[in-house]
Formats: sequence, C-alpha cells, structure tokens
Amino acid sequence: MAAVTFHHAEKVYPDGSRVISDFNLQVTDGELLVLVGPSGCGKSTVLRMVAGLEEVSSGEILIDGQVVNDWPPQRRDIAMVFQNYALYPHMSVRRNLEFPLTMRRLAAAEIRQRVERAAAMLNLTALLDCKPRVLSGGQRQRVAMGRAIVRDASVFLMDEPLSNLDASLRVQIRTDIAALQQRLGITTLYVTHDQVEAMTLGHRVAVMRAGVLQQVAAPRELYENPANVFVAGFIGSPGMNVVRGRLDTDDRGLVLLLGAARVPLGAGIRTRHPGLEGWCGRSMLIGMRPEALSLTEAGAGLMPATVRSAESLGHETIVYVDAALETVATDMAATARGTGDGAGPPLAAVLPGHRPFKREEVLNLSVDPDGLYCFTPEGERI
Amino acid sequence: MFRRKALDDQTPAALLFAGPALLGLTLFIAVPFLLAVVLAFTNLRLGSPLPLEFVGLKQFARIFSDPGFRRALFNNMMFAVVVVPLQTGIALGLALLLNHGLRGTVVFRTLFFMPVVFPMSLVAVIWILIYAPGASGMMNAFLEMITWGAWQPRDFLRDPWLALPALMLLSVWQGAGFQMVILLAGLQSVPEELYQAAALDGAGRWPQFLHVTLPQLRNPLIFVVLVTTILAFRLFDQVQLMTRGGPQDATTVVMFETVQAAFTRQQVARACAMAVVFFIIVLFITWLQRRLLRQQSEVA
Amino acid sequence: MRVASTAAQHHGLARAAGYAVLIASVLLFIVPVLLMIIGSLKPDDRVLMEAGTVKALWPDSVSLRNYADVFRRADFARFLFNSLFITGSIVIAGLLVNSLAGYAFARLRWRGRTLLFNLLLAVMIVPFEAIAVPLFYQVSILGLRDTYIAQILPFIANAFSIFLFYSFFIGLPRELEESARVDGAGVLRTFFFIIVPNARPVFATVAILSFLTWWGSYLWPLMVTIGPRVRPLPVAIATFYTLPPLQWGDILAFGAMMVMPVLVVFVAFQRWFVRGVAASAIKG
Repeated sequence: MAAVTFHHAEKVYPDGSRVISDFNLQVTDGELLVLVGPSGCGKSTVLRMVAGLEEVSSGEILIDGQVVNDWPPQRRDIAMVFQNYALYPHMSVRRNLEFPLTMRRLAAAEIRQRVERAAAMLNLTALLDCKPRVLSGGQRQRVAMGRAIVRDASVFLMDEPLSNLDASLRVQIRTDIAALQQRLGITTLYVTHDQVEAMTLGHRVAVMRAGVLQQVAAPRELYENPANVFVAGFIGSPGMNVVRGRLDTDDRGLVLLLGAARVPLGAGIRTRHPGLEGWCGRSMLIGMRPEALSLTEAGAGLMPATVRSAESLGHETIVYVDAALETVATDMAATARGTGDGAGPPLAAVLPGHRPFKREEVLNLSVDPDGLYCFTPEGERI
Repeated sequence: MFRRKALDDQTPAALLFAGPALLGLTLFIAVPFLLAVVLAFTNLRLGSPLPLEFVGLKQFARIFSDPGFRRALFNNMMFAVVVVPLQTGIALGLALLLNHGLRGTVVFRTLFFMPVVFPMSLVAVIWILIYAPGASGMMNAFLEMITWGAWQPRDFLRDPWLALPALMLLSVWQGAGFQMVILLAGLQSVPEELYQAAALDGAGRWPQFLHVTLPQLRNPLIFVVLVTTILAFRLFDQVQLMTRGGPQDATTVVMFETVQAAFTRQQVARACAMAVVFFIIVLFITWLQRRLLRQQSEVA
Repeated sequence: MRVASTAAQHHGLARAAGYAVLIASVLLFIVPVLLMIIGSLKPDDRVLMEAGTVKALWPDSVSLRNYADVFRRADFARFLFNSLFITGSIVIAGLLVNSLAGYAFARLRWRGRTLLFNLLLAVMIVPFEAIAVPLFYQVSILGLRDTYIAQILPFIANAFSIFLFYSFFIGLPRELEESARVDGAGVLRTFFFIIVPNARPVFATVAILSFLTWWGSYLWPLMVTIGPRVRPLPVAIATFYTLPPLQWGDILAFGAMMVMPVLVVFVAFQRWFVRGVAASAIKG
C-alpha cells in the first residue's frame, strides 16, 4: 500500500513539445483516483511516468515517499492494466498470471496459491488453460486484471481498461472493478476519456486538459463546483452550456442579461459565488446546465430558440437549439457537435420524457437561475 | 534540462544485442568493401615484381578498353533486357491465372515455385543435358518437333548466337516461380471491393485489369523487375559451369571477368576495379527502385 | 435466364481455357525436374540416348544403381554433411545474432542507433559479388582457406535478415514489452520469453531465405575450398560432372540427392516459403 505523489512533474519530448506541465497531485493510500480528459491531453503519459515507461523530464514522482524517477519499472512495485490488455499471446491464462511471479522468483507453491486465488476472485478458474486468443473481450479484460492482482503490488495503474469492451459489458466490469478495488484497498490510478466512467468510479477525479491539471475533486464536487468552463463543459452529458452574459442590477436585485432575457438571480447562485456583486456591469461567461433549461409559454428568462436537432433517449430528450445567445465552445462541446459555419456551438437542453421535435421548430425556453454558474471572461470560476 | 537518465538509456543492453551482428558486418562487408575501393586504385598483382603504388583511375581505363570486359557488360545488359520482361511477363501471366480461384491453385503454385529451391549449379548441370548437341538432345528434339522437322540440330552452348539465349532460358525457368509468388501475393492483397466498385462503374475485364490490377501491383512489379535486373548483373554460376564465358566471349559476364582477373591472372587491382564498377551499377538500379517507390508513396 | 446461361457457359469456357494453359505451363516447367528424377533411375548410357524421345520422361527400367554409384565414385556423404553443417550453422547462428540486432534497432534506446541503422540500410545494397574478391584475400591472409570457418563466419551477420527482424519487431504491440517490464522482466528475458515466442513467422522467413541462399551458394565455396574436405554440394556436383567417365545417370542421381532435402523441407513448409518470399518483397 502506498501513496503516489507528483511534485512539479513535467514531460518534455526531445523535439521540445511539452506534454505535461507542472503536474502536482497526491493519490492517497488506498484511493481510487481517476484521471480523465479528452484524448491527447497527456493522461496516459502521466500514468506511464508512474510506471517507469516514460522518463520524467523534470520534477519528481514519489511512490510511498521514495523518489522513483530513475527506477526501472520492475523496481517500482506497480501493476498495470493496458488498454489492449497486452496478454502474452503464446502463454495460457495460467502462464500469463504466473509470469510476473516467476519474474520475481517466488516459490512454486506460493505462485500456485496466488494464481488460484486471483483466478477464483475473477471467476477465471475454468479458463486457466486457455490461450488468450480464444477468450472473449470481457474474459481477456479479467485476465489482465488478474495479472495485476496476483502481484500484490502497492499501486495499480489502469490505462483505459474498459475502452475495448462493448457498452453493456463496460458498465458491468466498471462495477466489478470498483468492488475489487474496495476489497483489496490498493492505491489505484485509473485513466479514462469517459467522464461517466470517471464520475461513477473515482473516489476523486482529476480532470486534465492539454497537459495541465484542471481540477481534482470528488465527483459530486466536480459536478457542482467546476473550477473553470472546461471542467464544466467536460463533466455531465451533455456538458454545461457556456454563453456570454452581463451582470446588472435592477429593482429585483442582481440580474443576468442573457441576450434579450433578464434573469433575476436567486439566493442559491449568490451563495455559490460570494463575490458576484463585484462583477456588476461587467460581462462574464455563464454556465448553464442543460437540465436547468425547460420549455415554457411565458415567464422569467424567456428566450426563443430554433431546434437544430434532437435525440430522444425515451425517458428524456436532448434538444440542441440556436438561441439569440453568444455560445462559447469549451473544447469538448465544439468537437462533439461541430457547427461548421463558424458560429458557436448550439445550446443543449435536457427535457424530461419523449418529445418529438421538428427541425426549425421554434421553442420558448426558460432557465432555472439555480442552474447557472458564473465564470470570468477567461473561463475561471468566480 | 535533458540530462541522461539510467531509465532511458539502454546502450549497454543494445551493445550486447547488436554488437555481434555489427562486428560481423564490419569485418566481412565494410572492410572488404573498402579494401576493394582502395585496391582498385593500385597496381596490385600477386607475384608481380613491381612495387605497390597508386595508379589513380588507370585500372578503370584499362578495363573499359578491354574488349572482354566490354563484351561482359554488354552481355549483362542483354541478359537484363531479355530476361527481365520475359520472366516478369510469364510470372505475371501465371499469377493472374492462379488468382482466378481455380481448384488446385496450391498444387500449381508449388510446382511453379519448385525450380526456385534448386541450386543453380544443379540447374546448370540438368540443362547441359537438355542442351545436348545432336538430334537426340532434348531441346533439339523438342524444337524439331514443334517446327515440323524444319529445325536443324545445333550445339547450343558452343554456338556464338545461341549460347547466351540458352543461358537466359534456364534462368527464366529457375526464377519465374519466385516472381510469380510475389506477384500472386500482390494480386491477392488487392481488395475485392475495388473490383466490385469498378464493375459497378461499368468496367469490363480488360479495363479492370488496366485500372485496378496494374496500379495495385505497381510496387511488387517494381520490386521484381529491379531484383531481377540486379540478378542479371550478378550472373555467374551458369556461365562458370556451362560455357566458361565462351564461345568467343559470347557469354562472358562481369562477375566471370572479375573472377578470371583475380584467380587466373592474379590481377587483384583489376578485379577490384571491376567489382567497383559492378557495385556502381547495382547502386544505380537500387537508387532507381527507391525513387520509383517514393514517387508512388507521394502519389498515395 | 438465357443471358445467365450464356454467361455461365462463357465462364465455364474461360475456366477450361485457364486450366489448359496452366497444365501446359506446368508440364513445361516440370520437364527438367522429371528428366532429373527419371534419368537418375536409368542405366547411364540410356539417359543421353533417350533424352530426345518421350522415353526421357518414361522409365522402363528402374534401378537405384546410379545412386549406389554416386556413393562409390564420390564421397557424397561428406559433401552432404559439409553442406548441412555449413548451411545449418549459418542459419542457426544467423537467427540468433540477427534477431538480437533487429530488436536492438527496433526497440532499444541507445546512442548511435539512427546512424548505425542508416549504415545498415546502405550495407544491404552491397551485393556479395562486389566484395567476394577482397574478402577472399582477407580470408587467405588469415589462413582460413579451405576451412568451415571461412564458409560460415562471414555470412552469419546479415543486413537483410536484420532488416526483416527489425520490420517485424517494429510492428509488434509495444504494450507486450511494457507489460513484461512492469511484470519484472529485464531486457534479455523480455526478448527471449515474450518477443521470440511471438515472432515465429519472421524466424521462419529468415531461416528459409538464408537456407535457400546458402544451400545453393556456389561462387564463394568455389573460391575458398581447395580439396574435397570442406567442399559443399554445389561445388561437388560441378566437380562430379567433370569426373570421367561422363555418366549421366550418376550425375542426375547426385543432383536428385542434392535437392531432395530442400524439396522435402519445401513441400512440408511451403506455406512458409511462399510467405517468406512474399515478405521479402514487401519489406524490401
């Protein structure tokens, strides 16, 4: 059991490109920490630096209080699950599980006992004599997990271990991994690009973007208090809408000017953003949860919107609309639903129940002020 | 910033891994190659009383004014000019036939490929028998049969006009299977969808061959053509075993001249000069291949 | 319906024509092979006599006398041993040395790798014939003429084999090795326990290509061997052919025995031969 600490860790490639900048993080003993971010943000590089498969350019990585920068992987007492599992194709499941133990020169009896125990734990006993190529994706995944478990390593590293599985299996194995980690209590660093996986699995979640750590927090905290517009747009499906707005006051107190609409701000948002009054009369970025938007005939914060597309999931309908608002891409929204005409991304709204919408249909949307978040024009939380 | 770290530097292991091979390549390719280049500019001749000295390009001037060597260069070129298209054409034809999914493809492929595993010295001996002079010789009898008796028996390997074509024929026989296998692999890697798309676009068999098959076969074709061209310049075994360059230099080739200079006449420097010329030719052909292949990848 | 049936008919005709051409070409292709096998079973004097008739391909009196004669007139067993020993040594030592080098170029990080790799690509172009003469003097000066060493050592390290190994290793998933390293294996153990067992195709390809090359090699043993002691089969058959009296049955029997080991290996592993040859083209 051990804590993993990053102390100003950086990764710079020989061509000068900096893929990890000033990375500081502590994974505490026994914690399952999920590292999440869009592809290419450097999250896998972080994991590989812990494993010793990538060199740390500057700064330090500590495992259990020891600086491990110059240690080769075999010395670090870590176990790793790879995205494609990296099962040794020429070895049976049993030999795959035994391999790390033989490499550590354990006694045969000990090896046998550990392999059987891990196999039983993962329901692999019947498959022990199979070669990896005859196994299904889920079985392979379990063997990869098993190979990490037999080690009794002090740290688990998992690099997108579920991304090669189909959706339903992914949900099931996700639960299994959580239960297993809980049971073994091993410090685990888990990398994924899937925010749902991150939110359901992590004790804490670290969001990365372009080699920079954005926020580390428990899932609920991340959802409720995103540190910047990137995190706000990344977490949630769909993520938060971000639009330009202005803060003003009138006889009702603080009002938010969103396009033509004036939304009076209630107490909820004022407690969330204590310094908000100071921004009166200035423009800012406003985060708007898709769940906070609803259909209305008339009322506060009324805005007309044109339907661009809609996806019905049965129990709810996600509708993408164009409104008279200046929307801002948060990195993720732009790529997820590109507009192609250079305008901002559409506004997403999540409405309960199944609702058929026609393209170009005009709706009236109102917004719940408690679902609003205020950010500086640079995107940092106020 | 970039101080080297133990983690990233595997030089000791790499030296252990690559060391033996690098040593071997240095001792047995780099050193003799450099030796050949250096000696080509000297007057070294074993058993000669003259002192060793550098003579500049004199050896090259000598070999290029030597009718034997010039004939050898010409013969190599003739060999390439005839054998390369002939062998490639036959190989392509066979590969196309075998690619039709007829039953027994594997058996046919095996039989066509069989001569490739025959050592050239054995091939030469068998074909000496085939080319036996007189009416009872197999080739003579065969030619007489297909010409309805018009063919007069000849002594192929001692005929100044027929000796080189005779060597060409057995080389085609021995090498066509090699090319065929490569072209067949190329044909089999052409995606079926391309043919289906072409057929939907209204292309018949011949247009399909011209616009789908040939472009897809471009790289394997370049490969086999240039490998065969290089082989045509490396020609030696057949000549040594069957004709010794004769009659009247009709079948002499660069390698044969080189070996003659080195071992019959002990002219080391001259042999090295020939080897250098030979290497430059091979280098040129290889350069041509790389260029053609690069053009291809730029297009793609 | 009629259109379909004519199309089918046309297809059938094309198919029959295809077969006809194939069978005719195969017959032409295997005549020399049949001539060798059948001639080796005939009395010596009738080989040449019947070469111009269909009897050349039709044995009416079969006997293994010629084979016995080969052993009587020449030390065939020695030549066979020489060829097997020389070729086997080159192939086996070559597999080890070149695969290790290929791995170093494909995966290890070391100083000078890029430079040496470019040199390797350059060395690949140098044909053996261009260095045969100076190599011969080199070997002579070292007093290695007429030895096994002279016929084995220079050919173990091979640039093209290294390149084939390199291309294969480059294509293996990197995670396999990373996983092995995390599991506690060092570089040597990773190579022998993880890489080698998963690289059988390239080992087979290289083994086959180098076996074919050196089993038939003629120029070099012709230069370095003097007597029959270390003479391999290709040189031996040339000498045997000139051994008076000229007995074609014996010569063909010699040839048949010479090619038999290769043919057996070829037929047994022909899938690998074909793959190997095709691989050499795609990589080259």
